[in-house]
Amino acid sequence: MKIFLKIRQTFSIDKATFLDIFIIPILATSLAITIGLLLLLLSGESYQTALRALISLFVGSFGSVSALSETLTASTPLIFAALGIAIGFRAGLFNIGAEGQIIIGGLAAVIVGFSVELPLLLHLTIVLAIGAAFGAGYAFISGWLKAFTGAHEVITTIMLNLIAFRLLDFFLRLPFIQKEGRNDPISKSVLETAELPRLLGFIDPNLRIHAGFLLAVLAVVLVYWIIFHTTIGFEFRTVGTNIHAAKYAGVNSSLAVILAMSAAGLCAGLAGASQISGVLGRATSGFSAGIGFDAIAVALLGRAHPIGVLFSGILFGALVAGGREMQVSAGVSLDLITVIQALIIIFIAAPILIKSIFPWFFPKT
Amino acid sequence: MKIELKEISKSFGPVAANTKINLSVSSGETLGLLGENGAGKTTLMNVLTGLYKPDSGQVLIKGQQREFSNPRDAIKNGIGMVHQHFMLVPVFSVTENVILGNEPTTAVNRINLKEAREKVQNISSKYNLNVDPDELVERLPVGVQQRVEIIKILFRKAELLIFDEPTAVLTPQEVSDFFMIVNSLKNSGKAIIFITHKLHEVIQICDRINVLRRGEVVGEVNPKKTSNSELAELMVGRSVNLNTKRKKIDPGNVLLKVKNLQVISDKKEKVVSDVNLKLHEKEILGIAGVQGNGQTEFIEALTGLRKISSGEISYFDTNCTNFTPRKIHQMGIKHIPEDRQKQGLINEFSLTENIILNTYYEADFSKNISLNWNNARSEAARVMKQFDVRANSESSPAGNLSGGNQQKLVIGREMSRKINLLIASQPTRGVDVGSIEYIHSQIIAARNAGIGVLLNSTELEEIITLSDRIVVFFEGKIVAELPSNTDPKIIGLAMAGVVT
Amino acid sequence: MKLNTILRLTSGAFAGLLLATVQSANAFTACQVTDLGGVDDKSFNETAWKGVQDAVAKHGIDSKILESKDGTDYEPHLNSMVGAGCDIIVAVGFLMGEATQKAAEANPDSKFTIIDFAYKPTIPNVLGQVFETDQAAFLAGYVSAGVSKTGIVGTFGGINIPPVTGFMDGFAWGVAHYNKVKGKNIQVLGWDPAAKEGLFTNNFDSLDDGRAFAQNLYDEGADIVMPVAGPVGLGSASLANELGSDKLKIIGVDGDWTVTDPTRKGVYLTSVMKNMDATTLSVIEMAKSGNFSGGVTAGTLENGGVGIAPYHELSSSVPSDLAAEVEALRKGIISGSIKMN
Repeated sequence: MKIFLKIRQTFSIDKATFLDIFIIPILATSLAITIGLLLLLLSGESYQTALRALISLFVGSFGSVSALSETLTASTPLIFAALGIAIGFRAGLFNIGAEGQIIIGGLAAVIVGFSVELPLLLHLTIVLAIGAAFGAGYAFISGWLKAFTGAHEVITTIMLNLIAFRLLDFFLRLPFIQKEGRNDPISKSVLETAELPRLLGFIDPNLRIHAGFLLAVLAVVLVYWIIFHTTIGFEFRTVGTNIHAAKYAGVNSSLAVILAMSAAGLCAGLAGASQISGVLGRATSGFSAGIGFDAIAVALLGRAHPIGVLFSGILFGALVAGGREMQVSAGVSLDLITVIQALIIIFIAAPILIKSIFPWFFPKT
Repeated sequence: MKIELKEISKSFGPVAANTKINLSVSSGETLGLLGENGAGKTTLMNVLTGLYKPDSGQVLIKGQQREFSNPRDAIKNGIGMVHQHFMLVPVFSVTENVILGNEPTTAVNRINLKEAREKVQNISSKYNLNVDPDELVERLPVGVQQRVEIIKILFRKAELLIFDEPTAVLTPQEVSDFFMIVNSLKNSGKAIIFITHKLHEVIQICDRINVLRRGEVVGEVNPKKTSNSELAELMVGRSVNLNTKRKKIDPGNVLLKVKNLQVISDKKEKVVSDVNLKLHEKEILGIAGVQGNGQTEFIEALTGLRKISSGEISYFDTNCTNFTPRKIHQMGIKHIPEDRQKQGLINEFSLTENIILNTYYEADFSKNISLNWNNARSEAARVMKQFDVRANSESSPAGNLSGGNQQKLVIGREMSRKINLLIASQPTRGVDVGSIEYIHSQIIAARNAGIGVLLNSTELEEIITLSDRIVVFFEGKIVAELPSNTDPKIIGLAMAGVVT
Repeated sequence: MKLNTILRLTSGAFAGLLLATVQSANAFTACQVTDLGGVDDKSFNETAWKGVQDAVAKHGIDSKILESKDGTDYEPHLNSMVGAGCDIIVAVGFLMGEATQKAAEANPDSKFTIIDFAYKPTIPNVLGQVFETDQAAFLAGYVSAGVSKTGIVGTFGGINIPPVTGFMDGFAWGVAHYNKVKGKNIQVLGWDPAAKEGLFTNNFDSLDDGRAFAQNLYDEGADIVMPVAGPVGLGSASLANELGSDKLKIIGVDGDWTVTDPTRKGVYLTSVMKNMDATTLSVIEMAKSGNFSGGVTAGTLENGGVGIAPYHELSSSVPSDLAAEVEALRKGIISGSIKMN
């Protein structure tokens, strides 16, 4: 408990924020799981199956070292990308483009990963930096369009996502990038020097958790600092909360929009690069796997607060890992997890709903 | 008809909003309900209109006890309210708005618009409301929209009409039209409760005045036998000096020079044209005018918020035409914007964050990009203490503060840093009497300390009280420049474009 | 290794306790990880799963399944199956090649079998199942060339990978053989076996793409189309169903689509069958009886691993001499007297 208190102090999380970023996500998730299980029963499954599904959801996400490793592995790119989306939210931007930014960042990372030969740490650093830079550059396009032409970032980021999908397919077929002897879109594998080390590989090679998770935690602290303790973050929040006041305060809102969007892309690019370096080792046409879209839900669930993003990212990672165990042990379709995720989004979109279902958690106003 | 409230009490948790309140109003009478923000006026009216249930006490109508569980019950008993913020559908016609929720229908359950339209027409002509039943609400000026709200409750056969701060959104001309309507309603036998915190209005329009302070009725006053200062004292609970003393002092050097200023609006209209003025140190220059005559755009042009299309502004001999807001702020020109909620503050931000809203980049509050929250917090505490900003702590959100405290926060922020010129726009709009007194004294103190003040206000009284010199804006131009001891009638005529 | 043991024991204790309450212990478990498209794809995932289910019915073993939503799922899914104590793990599809290799090398005690992938060199605990689908598709191409009225037939694939293009190669060669024998010029749209280029949807799940691609081929004059993209082909079939089988006929792949998709049975001329259910069943039986060894098994016309389905509803449109020629070709391929290209 002491450590939680310490965390709350360090990140100056007051009571209301605490409710927002910890209690509401937990309640929303519990409620969604409950409804999901009820649906399971309604679809004619026995209550034993439902019970088994519930238990395997927990066992598969936190019940063992390998479960925890899977949870954190799945949460790593979600945390990175959701941090970016959170920065966007703070600056009043709804960045739907994390998926595309992940693709571009990951693609750049994989190219540097297999084509350049460098010493261990240097190579890895450059791969991650290039991934981040390309993600940022790709998002910069939307930021620039918003600042100078007023084009809405929702539209431009969606379009850039579609372009990224096609670009990826195109690049993966270029002979320079395509894996030898293959005709389908798949890249060469990155060199060992460009791989993020697995943290628990010495215990069991199947434990996939990699150093990217530590970087994600570091990123959480850094983004917290940027949002709440720097002039740049102050400008983001000013522009995002009240554009008229920002103008009055002399904030260059165009610059803030471009910077925030690029920072968002940087985080998403890192998500892509860490997937490439830490998990996949190469790019295929579907390597982004919808992480950029799930990250929107994570950022919403975490109330655009970096600590909240960390927590919700782990929660979503747990759903991925636990959902897999649910399929294996209880024979329940993975679609149930998709339903639960959708329900969580509904509940966080309507926090009043949660507050009225669990009134005793919340102080009366 | 007589409506009585007996021993009404209502509290929210530990806060008592109303304590044993008694009041009554009869047909053909206008009762003024005067009190500062937070005195309990709105809570009391919400009890009367069925939104809240009182903890104790009774509502009597014609001597009979009634209990309302919702606003529909209240309207059935002839009690209707015109809220400060209108509840109209802009794209509906007047008739459609009036009947909304209470539609007369034909035998086959179709809306009988024709019958409704006739009724609206009848009500409009009976009380001289002069409203076209077919016009869309969005095309109507605010004053007329208010009359639509009145028709709405008359259509529901209200006998008691409650007006909550009805003049807050009206121009002076609309206010006098509105007072005529109130009188004609009263003369036709309606009972009226008039809620406000503006002293001269209750004296002008009401037959009786009840003053509320901290949830209690602290006095019943006859408007014919009272004065502004007596009312203010009752309201605030201590003696209030409304006629802030302004020693005459000689102005200093020219601080600000505006030459042939012209501003084009977003709609490509010329909203400010050929404005020339000079402002000196140790001088308060008042800008008088009816809202919407270019003052807002003029102030925005001065402070860098709006592009100047031609002309020149110079400050201490520096040409600062079309400088950015930040540059202008850095030069010591501080701006109290007319809409503190929209521009001056960020409601969601803490007081500390609001204190550094436009100075966060200065060396006191940041080094490189790292913010120094300790300095910001102590600055916030200092401003709160020096400018009497009442709040739980410097980390509470600005949106939780009362209007007066919000405004004192903005004024404190602007006046406590390097300042040579203060541009204050509507500094006391929506602010309680106690704070008005304080703000006025601060503005005068600033001027005495050598600062030049440009005061823009649509409250003529405020202009006259504070200004050393007055310019009058009409249709984007300065139509008159007058000394401060000018007869208010002459200023009023100038505001209407009539210059003698 | 000591730390490993301790960690596994402590963490496993809690998990084990919980799982013990919900899991029934069984002697033998066969597990499958599907590729994209899902287990109900009426195509290769479903056919392989049928093999697992046949083993369950026949030998009373247990089964588990994990469906992949993304390519990123392969590795953790396979790991999960290892962790769940599976006795044999069936990886369905060429795209899982790398992931299966990784999992097999990390877990040398677990047994794997992968469909459509042969490792060179072989891995001791993986049995690759490959299928000479070009042999069967050759027959389908020949019969299509004989049945086509427009003189144009078409095909398209899911992704440009050997297990897909094998079908397309055989189909195109079969048509070419027909042209050579009969002196005709029937055209094949959608695949050039020499250049290894053609039409691909780049997915294995969009029924809309299946419809659109078939529509394009139909617009170009094709009256018989072979979609090689799993369930995507069902979209092509629904187009054929609306147009009528006189305008457009479909050739199924992997399973016999007249049987798996009876609502549209009138549109299937034949199907190029890849009998993964039979091979999967036999691999499971090998593992169960202890005869499992890594390497490669190949399904051919000769051993019945591949074949073409009966003409069913459309047998009237296949003249009896054409059917006889196809049967002769089948024998010729088995004996080696017919060279396909």
